[in-house]
Amino acid sequence: MCGIVGFWNRQEDARGLGQTVLKMLNALDCRGPDSAGVALYGEGRDGRLVLRVSLGEDADYEATARRVVSRAEAFGVVSEHARTAEYLRLALVYGGEARRLEQAIEAAGDGVEVVSMGRRLEIVKQVGSPRNLDETYGISGFEGTHGIGHTRLSTESRIDLSHSQPFWAHGHPDLAVVHNGHITNYHKLRRIYEQDGARFYTENDSEIIGMYLHRKLADGKDLEAAMAASLVELDGSFSYLVATPDAVGFVRDPYAFKPLLFAETADFAAVATEEIAFRSALDGAYDVVEARAKDMRLWHN
Amino acid sequence: MAQLTCNGKTTREINREIRAFVAAGESRVRVLDPCARHNLGVALLDPVHLTLEGSVGYYCGGMIDGATVEVKGSAGWGLAESMMSGKVIVHGNAGNGSAASIRGGTVVVRGHASARLGVAMKGGLIVVGGDCGYMAGFMGQRGRIIVCGDTGDAFADSMYETECFVGGEIAELGNDAVVETPGEADLAFLSASVQEHLDRRLDVTSFKKVVAGRKLWNFDKDERAVWREAL
Repeated sequence: MCGIVGFWNRQEDARGLGQTVLKMLNALDCRGPDSAGVALYGEGRDGRLVLRVSLGEDADYEATARRVVSRAEAFGVVSEHARTAEYLRLALVYGGEARRLEQAIEAAGDGVEVVSMGRRLEIVKQVGSPRNLDETYGISGFEGTHGIGHTRLSTESRIDLSHSQPFWAHGHPDLAVVHNGHITNYHKLRRIYEQDGARFYTENDSEIIGMYLHRKLADGKDLEAAMAASLVELDGSFSYLVATPDAVGFVRDPYAFKPLLFAETADFAAVATEEIAFRSALDGAYDVVEARAKDMRLWHN
Repeated sequence: MAQLTCNGKTTREINREIRAFVAAGESRVRVLDPCARHNLGVALLDPVHLTLEGSVGYYCGGMIDGATVEVKGSAGWGLAESMMSGKVIVHGNAGNGSAASIRGGTVVVRGHASARLGVAMKGGLIVVGGDCGYMAGFMGQRGRIIVCGDTGDAFADSMYETECFVGGEIAELGNDAVVETPGEADLAFLSASVQEHLDRRLDVTSFKKVVAGRKLWNFDKDERAVWREAL
């Protein structure tokens, strides 16, 4: 199963992004009791890079957090840092290569992982329900322009924070993906990517979608072209959502195996696995339409 | 008219309340705030008219026998699945697998229907005001499907005796599907059905009729190529 949601705000100075995404996600709680997560895009006005770092599972979080901060300081001025449970959030001034910074931070301890990096993107995810996620991290108070979310029913890889979604496309700031389905040519693609030096963080087939899009973008394709190519080059069942600082999009596999619906009004565009996610979170009169097989759409500025 | 709200109730409680109204002899029951929830109005075996005031989730009106279920919104997957008789009317769109395996009755979708509409149907009538997704009518054994708009790929694949009628474009015909010109009786039936169920007057003379070519009904080794393609 799994449930995925996406919300794209069209109103000037709208409030309540975290609340909306959380409500949509709560409605799909029963589709994925294993873990919940959101990728939200804030205003990012000062241009600093924001990192969300998972500090490993059995670590002394405080000590690991100090090591991470001191390593980040070697790259730029760390203007703020705060820890909540196993998460460290830090903001720094850095315009260099994302991969170098990420590698330095992840060497700070066993299981340390940069869960998200971006000037606007922040990913928060954990094992358990969307409600728990809000209780721990207070995401309902998050303000921003758009976001995607995921509730997971694990079918073939382990249940922990790292295997939860959304996935940040490591090495590509601000690119995030959520996926419902199975990518059946995952192992084949993974071998090819690993020969090219890519590092995989999980055994979760969904991780490869962000990496796939990242590679297409790095090859000079635009996001829409990369999504169109994925319809041909990814096998299996997939309804996935992708988000960047200025877009939210979806792709549905050629057999429409996994559900996906969307709604568009003058105020918003939204997409989710079931209509209940829209009706629980978004008031007013609007139509919800099921995406067709091979449908893809990109909402952007 | 009897009415109930879904707010704060489990699906089982809602369906029990509907059933209690029916048992008390109510002929019309209104359900408020369905909020796209699953499994509403299933297995109703009496001729009650159930109106759901909004969108519903999966399997709405499934396995009904004689009831009328009206959805004033859209429906999710598996609408009216395996219904025996009665009527299911959706004012908006319907999800994948709508009217799959129905044995009788009428399913009306005023908007669009998604993939796998009416697969394995064994009787009854399906009327869609808009388009339908891929593989509508797959392995249909009896009954009729009317799609006023366009169809998706693999339309009417591997059918038995289901008859399909299409007002718009057929994206691709399925295996063994054959296009015919509707006869006088077909046109009269089409006009009457569209008028009755969609409340529309349509010029149905341009509708296409699609039936099975019957090449897959019995194995014939001289037609091995047809089978290779189909399987």
